[in-house]
Amino acid sequence: MALLTVSDLTRDFGGLRAVDRFSFTVEAGEILGLIGPNGAGKTTVFNLITGFLRPTSGEILVEGRSIVGLRPHAVIRRGIARTFQLVKPFPKLSVRENVTLAAFTHEPARRRAEAVACQILERVGLGDRLDAPAADLTLGAQKRLEVARALATRPRVLLLDEPMGGLNPREVDEASALVRQIRAEGVTVVLVEHVMKAIMRISERVVVIHHGEKIADGAPERVVQDPSVIAAYLGTRVA
Amino acid sequence: METFVQSLVSGVLTGSLYAMIGLGLTVVFGVMRIINLAHGDLVMLGMYGAFWSHVLWRVDPFLSLVIWVPLMFLGGMLLYRFLLRPIVPGGELNTLLYTAGLSLLIANLALFSWTGDYRTIKLPYAITPLRPFGIAVPIPLALAFALAAVITLALYLFLARTDLGRAIRATSQNAEAAALMGIDVERIAMITFGLGSALAGAAGILLAPSLYLYPTVGEILIAKCFVIVVLGGLGSVAGAIAGGILLGLVESLGAVYVSVAYKDTIGFVIFLLVLLFRPSGLFGVGKA
Amino acid sequence: MTRVAIVAVVLILMMAPPLVTTNQFLLHLAITVLLWTLLGASWNLLGGFAGQVSFGHATFFGVGAYATMILYLRLGLAPWYGMALGGAAAVLVSLPIGLICFRLRGPYFSLSTLAVAEIVRLVALNWEALTNGPVGLLITALPPVALGTRGINWESKVPFYCIIAVLAALAMAATWILSRARLGAYLLAIREDEDAAESVGIDTVRAKVLTLALSAFFTGLGGGFYGFYFHYVDPDAVFPIAVSVEMVFIAVVGGLATVIGPVIGAVFLTTIGELFRERFQVGHLIFYGLFMMLVIRYLPEGIWGGARRAWTGRR
Repeated sequence: MALLTVSDLTRDFGGLRAVDRFSFTVEAGEILGLIGPNGAGKTTVFNLITGFLRPTSGEILVEGRSIVGLRPHAVIRRGIARTFQLVKPFPKLSVRENVTLAAFTHEPARRRAEAVACQILERVGLGDRLDAPAADLTLGAQKRLEVARALATRPRVLLLDEPMGGLNPREVDEASALVRQIRAEGVTVVLVEHVMKAIMRISERVVVIHHGEKIADGAPERVVQDPSVIAAYLGTRVA
Repeated sequence: METFVQSLVSGVLTGSLYAMIGLGLTVVFGVMRIINLAHGDLVMLGMYGAFWSHVLWRVDPFLSLVIWVPLMFLGGMLLYRFLLRPIVPGGELNTLLYTAGLSLLIANLALFSWTGDYRTIKLPYAITPLRPFGIAVPIPLALAFALAAVITLALYLFLARTDLGRAIRATSQNAEAAALMGIDVERIAMITFGLGSALAGAAGILLAPSLYLYPTVGEILIAKCFVIVVLGGLGSVAGAIAGGILLGLVESLGAVYVSVAYKDTIGFVIFLLVLLFRPSGLFGVGKA
Repeated sequence: MTRVAIVAVVLILMMAPPLVTTNQFLLHLAITVLLWTLLGASWNLLGGFAGQVSFGHATFFGVGAYATMILYLRLGLAPWYGMALGGAAAVLVSLPIGLICFRLRGPYFSLSTLAVAEIVRLVALNWEALTNGPVGLLITALPPVALGTRGINWESKVPFYCIIAVLAALAMAATWILSRARLGAYLLAIREDEDAAESVGIDTVRAKVLTLALSAFFTGLGGGFYGFYFHYVDPDAVFPIAVSVEMVFIAVVGGLATVIGPVIGAVFLTTIGELFRERFQVGHLIFYGLFMMLVIRYLPEGIWGGARRAWTGRR
């Protein structure tokens, strides 16, 4: 049984169908890429899975159990965590406190929660800035903070929304290494990304979404040569 | 039937004045996303302006528009430039609290200076109402309605036809883009706040002959103002007008057909319903 | 250690007045300061910690006041029990209010609480069968209570002082416990970013509803005390916007999300306000407005928050 199953997921905003009978599965242990042109519906899919939006219709199963209708905090408890496209740290709280709050999901006692938080922060490379207010960090560091925060909730699946956005090439490489490290520790990763080089390199499988519909699903090398995918990105005249 | 028409007419007349109060608030919110809790007290200042110029200098309150509106425009600009502008970067909630403080300050300074005694403006032509088709229409209210219509039309023409008006509308739609087009957004903000204050003052002057004046009246006015502005849609001029007239009608008809006592409650209940189910209001620019 | 010393000093100062003076005006002033400390601390739980700025807390104050008065005047339940039930009544009322108002965020939440408070005030004004309308409710005699060999002298301010001091201390203790508990940390997260809080597994609705209930309880308790002490309650005394606004100001000026903040805010604002009122009768809220403006502009953490920062030299 797949770890995460999305079937015929649909979401309407008034007259606009943002996500249209979108289906895909995520197997345990894989790194899945979700790509598509701007406005294709990628972040909407994440919002639907994590409970920030309710689907108009369709089903979302985690190990066979439905999570449709659950509020975001309950989705966390089922093992799905996410990061945001535009980082949302707790700006005035310290780096340590940001992650400790997330660690509370599995460690009710503050001291243990803080210890767990510090461990995770070391692993993502923020161990030297534990007391800094989150707002003072660079964008790259804030993105790593958000990953640390998500990891502290002990997710089975981690949804990363454009983790490389706004990073320079060196930071992109570091982020890619971090994604691989996370998977090595047993967390399944789904990432939405525009930085093609990165996503093609780290994903084992890629799903392409366009106008809310799935138009391709397979190994990166194959997907990138799929004519409908090329048409979606570049337009039909070029294809 | 006659009661129905009478309350309809009263509702529209009062509603037009409510709309005037709402205009200033909505224009300021539209451009700067500031919810000015002191707006009701600016209306109060307009009311007292009309009162004092009538008592001290025998100026007809409606004529005193000429004196007070420019002064309040200037005052509003200075208020924004020196008091509000440093606060705005602190966020919506901080600004809300600051204007709450300002409101208390203005209302209580007025209370201290002019005492809490209820005042009225007695006009010789207010005693006998007009009776078109048998419907009683007090003359000051009719005059206020007419002037409110003129002012609103002038506002509309200003926003739609002049360069400055267009700049204001552009800034309210997208401040960043406006700045990129060469609009001095800070100057527009200052002018808009001046405009909002002038409209508040004008509303106060038009209301003064028809209401009891007391320094803390701003409290009730701002509460009604929110109902109007949220009903019509924060940031929309047409919305403020529609919301004001709607509230006037609801209160007037509610007083006759539901209960005099609870007529004010109806407005607040509608307010809550709108906030919950249609927060962008009838014409709104929507939540920021 | 200094933190404990400060708290000890404050507690001692709170208990001192009836021991050092018999001046009725000063005792009345002290009682008023402590009442506003209680109210400011109650509001602070929701407004300071959770960042939900309510402009309608007078609802809970008034419900507590009326519940206490009605229970005593109609059912003979002594006010010292009535106060607790007043708090409970306020909690009950807070549940539907939270259900409605927590759907909104930021300034829209604040405006909705204002609307609710006004609706409640108007209902109290008009539902004469329950509340006696604008005439209000009056206590003419309090039941005798034995304390050792003598009865408590309800004519004196001292017993009232003791009661309000205990209530205020309770509210401050509750604040302190909250600040150390996981719920307190959750509230600070919600204040920073509600969506991010949800995304790290915090049940934001439950946290907000719980905090509102706690806040409503203490506010209702204060309302009950108000009726008990002043002997008279009417809708314009306990439900007006001014009461809600004063609570906000005391908490903000004193220092949001701190235990000592509301005390400082009440001491400052209430003392200046009452002294001004003694001398000039009207306009005492001028200082509330002025201090709010100064605090937001120059000292957004409030007087106590700013003092704490200057002390420790760090944020």
